[in-house]
Amino acid sequence: MKPPLPPAPPRAPGTWVLLASLAALVVASFASLPLQLAAFFTPEAVTSMREFLAGFTPPETTTPFLARTLTALWETLAMSLVGTLLAVLGGLVLALPAAGRAGRIARSLTRALLNVLRSIPELVWAALLLVAAGLGPFAGTLALAAHTSGVLGRLFADALENVEPLPEASLRTNGAAALAAFLYATLPQALPQMLSYTLYRWENNIRAAAVLGVVGAGGLGQMLKYHLSLFQMQSAATVVVAMLLLVAAVDAASFALRRLLTR
Amino acid sequence: MLVLDNLTKSYGGRTVLSGLSHSFRGGEFVAIMGESGVGKSTLLNIIAGLDAPTSGQVIVDGTPMSALDDDAATLLRRTRMGFIFQAFHVLPHLTLRQNVALPLLLNRTPDARADEMLEAVGLKGRGADFPRQLSGGELQRVAIARALVHRPALLLADEPTGNLDPETAGGILDLLRRETRQSGAGAIMVTHSHAAAAMADQVLLLTRSGLKLA
Repeated sequence: MKPPLPPAPPRAPGTWVLLASLAALVVASFASLPLQLAAFFTPEAVTSMREFLAGFTPPETTTPFLARTLTALWETLAMSLVGTLLAVLGGLVLALPAAGRAGRIARSLTRALLNVLRSIPELVWAALLLVAAGLGPFAGTLALAAHTSGVLGRLFADALENVEPLPEASLRTNGAAALAAFLYATLPQALPQMLSYTLYRWENNIRAAAVLGVVGAGGLGQMLKYHLSLFQMQSAATVVVAMLLLVAAVDAASFALRRLLTR
Repeated sequence: MLVLDNLTKSYGGRTVLSGLSHSFRGGEFVAIMGESGVGKSTLLNIIAGLDAPTSGQVIVDGTPMSALDDDAATLLRRTRMGFIFQAFHVLPHLTLRQNVALPLLLNRTPDARADEMLEAVGLKGRGADFPRQLSGGELQRVAIARALVHRPALLLADEPTGNLDPETAGGILDLLRRETRQSGAGAIMVTHSHAAAAMADQVLLLTRSGLKLA
């Protein structure tokens, strides 16, 4: 027979206050928003939704249109790949000082910069960069790179700070130069996690790249916006299917690679 | 030849080492004992040039450590010293052979002696294994092989048997003594263990008033 479990520790009064505050916040949120969920289920709404969705079938499948969709798909994939690659480089450069390797002041300053980079969403970066770089995938790629540099820089810095420090210290003690000790002891420990973060952000960026097109940054998003604005729903349906297939393929590839890395 | 000349080390207002002087002869195996917090590991770090004394100096083969810049002190440690730690500090992502060969790689010298050292510490044929496949005693054997592979003149060991059971510790100490004797290296070992200290040529006791023969 198992010994009885010890009594649960008493909850601090602050815990109850916090839980009650959160519950009040949720109730107040619902009360303050004019959510009219019932409007979704009126006969008129159901009919118009059915007509709207019927407009998407059958998807456009002519060869020239499929070829254009394939080109846009490639553009979206390329934007996400190059954007993520640039972000890895930027993230690595910023992660080293952000992990405290250039002193406390540099750590604070770099972490503040990383906060700024990742606090601005990709869409806002794209809107800003479209002014400088013009319409097209270049602005989209830079937007992805800017935001993702902030995310990856922070994640890389945390990964570097969290690795076991003694191997690097022991190499330094044994007379290894600072760079050699970092490359032999610290980086290999953090590398699988860093690669995993990179693949995960690539998954995110493929979705973001598709959305960025809506503000004129090229790829499938731009194509989708064009056909939706002309009410060419069958063409839009083909683009949506292409987006779904691309995201699913990248998710599967990324998942397989991450499993391989963390095995 | 290693000389400690009137070493003092203070942290804030607290003095850890005060006016410490001693000469170590080359090839001698010395154990340093003392109460916890008396400054044994601090002394080892100062000897290695990892920490600077508040006053006084460490002289290695006639060269004061204080005269060396960071690069020169790093080079001295890499070529003339070897270290063994209580917690082994073997790199988990490298094979045993790669771990042992690391000092040779850092010194840009051929790494064939790594296999000799693995054989010497009883791990012949295990070079392709990873540290996670080894017991604590075996890991310390790897650490000893790594510390001696580049034929250092001085081995510094900080509680090398502190994480091991008495039987394994005895085997490690025998190995350490045999290998340092064969390679002609001097050794300074900080330890709490009287059994470990008993195998040294000389046992010193570190107290607040300095180093003295035990």
